[in-house]
Amino acid sequence: MKRQFTWFDRAIIAVTAFFFLAPLIAAAEYSARGYGNKGHTLSNYVWIVHEQGFWPALLTSMRISILTVVLVMVLMVPTVVYIQLGGRKYRRLVEILCLLPIVIPVVSLAIGAQVAMPKFMQSTSYELCCFYVVVAMPYVYRTLDIGLQSVALTTLVEASQSLGASWTNTLTLVIIPAIRSSTMGALFITFALSLGEYTLAILLHFHTFPTWATNVSQENLYGSIAISVTTLGGAWILLILIAFAPRLKALFESKKERAI
Amino acid sequence: MVIADDRIAPTPTKGGSNVSRIRFDKSIVGLVPFFLFLGYFLLYPIAAIVSASLHDNRHHLTLSLYHNLFFGNYRDAFIGSFKLAFYSMLVAGIAGAIICWAVVKTNGVVRTITSSAAGVLANTGGVPLAFMFIAAFGQEGLITKLLLKVFHWDLYAGSFDLYNFWGILLVYCFFQIPLMVIIFTPALENLKIEWVEANESLGGTKFQYFRHVLIPVLLPSFFSACLLLFASAFSAFATAAAMSNGTIPLVPLLIGNLVNGNVIPSEANQGDALAMGMVIVSLVVIAGYLLLLRLTRKR
Repeated sequence: MKRQFTWFDRAIIAVTAFFFLAPLIAAAEYSARGYGNKGHTLSNYVWIVHEQGFWPALLTSMRISILTVVLVMVLMVPTVVYIQLGGRKYRRLVEILCLLPIVIPVVSLAIGAQVAMPKFMQSTSYELCCFYVVVAMPYVYRTLDIGLQSVALTTLVEASQSLGASWTNTLTLVIIPAIRSSTMGALFITFALSLGEYTLAILLHFHTFPTWATNVSQENLYGSIAISVTTLGGAWILLILIAFAPRLKALFESKKERAI
Repeated sequence: MVIADDRIAPTPTKGGSNVSRIRFDKSIVGLVPFFLFLGYFLLYPIAAIVSASLHDNRHHLTLSLYHNLFFGNYRDAFIGSFKLAFYSMLVAGIAGAIICWAVVKTNGVVRTITSSAAGVLANTGGVPLAFMFIAAFGQEGLITKLLLKVFHWDLYAGSFDLYNFWGILLVYCFFQIPLMVIIFTPALENLKIEWVEANESLGGTKFQYFRHVLIPVLLPSFFSACLLLFASAFSAFATAAAMSNGTIPLVPLLIGNLVNGNVIPSEANQGDALAMGMVIVSLVVIAGYLLLLRLTRKR
């Protein structure tokens, strides 16, 4: 609903913006301080890239995140489609199961993983992927479910099958493109979540980017503040870009049309 | 993937469903991968800690590990976690609701920027947030110095310290408030402009609108959002671990210490009982959330 924007609302927005931006700006200033608090340099940002363990940690995190995204999609897209098409009676059960990863604290899940997982799983970082899939599942389910409810799924599937497509083709060539925006949303949530996850990684003794960032903070506090600024600022800018992407595309296309 | 397999024989559908023309197996078979995955990576680990927490180190069935939770530093940790979760729920719940009030009126660029900022802070929080606060509010932080220079207010004169309870509470607010904004915005968006008009045409004042329309409509969703905030703060680990080095008694930190090998052999399974204690508290809170949600939907 649209209501009038009063001075009171402006005041709230201004105070909130100050409250949340001030620490970020303070941290950015702090991270750019030179040696002995003299002048400002970018040396701490350069230090991040050259610090030992940066690239391995980042690559490990990237590998785990990409694998998590693939796993969660392969598992959840068919499941949600199935529930929408034929398995409606299991909907309630699946919804309750998808609430569990929110209810169960990640710390408890980490303890359980230590007790229950076999040795060969615990020795590879792929164990993390499987648990990240579990942690991301509630968000992915919600996003995909909303996306699928807005398309005429039954009609699409019938049309696809009457043209002789197999289930694999229907899924990859019809359904996924039809819900592209919510698939992208689910994908981004999963990727961001597994890139920044700290609790499971540290408790299961894996070396990922967030655990590396915490470790190096003991030798260079300025550097780890620089890492924090980059992480938070980078994620924010990326999200804004994704939100504006459709509008930017429309703007670009309208300009192209005018040029023609 | 079972569902992508077109060799599954179609089973006859009962009751004339409208999807009967689709070749589709209506049994549970399409959900087997999902159930297997969740079963092995969620339910099995939890079942394992339930079992471990009920056995002492000589493999005898016992409730003594749960009994321990009510004494000593385990009890302190639960009280600490409870206090932190409760205070941050109060602050973030009220502040977040007020911010929502202004945010739902915005649109376009401001809306995109606020909602994406809320998403980033609520989800990636943790470790980066902790370091950001050390830079801003630490002894040498920019904001600490600014407050001292401009307002002559020494942040560290009182009982405040970034590494004690109040400092952690401040940091928790920075991911709890955005979380509240995310959860509570839909409730405010469902308010109808007709209600304001109806109130005005019946001669109601602004206060009467607030008292007799807004509060009854919003209260259930406000409480359920608060319960989610409580659960989120109660189980948060990363921020506390990065900031306090275990100086504040909190259950997740205690569990972290036990996992990292600082264990007396006689307490080998105590971590499992602590983890189960957290699960039980969270289950109770979420049960309250579901109950309130059901009440809101009935309206």
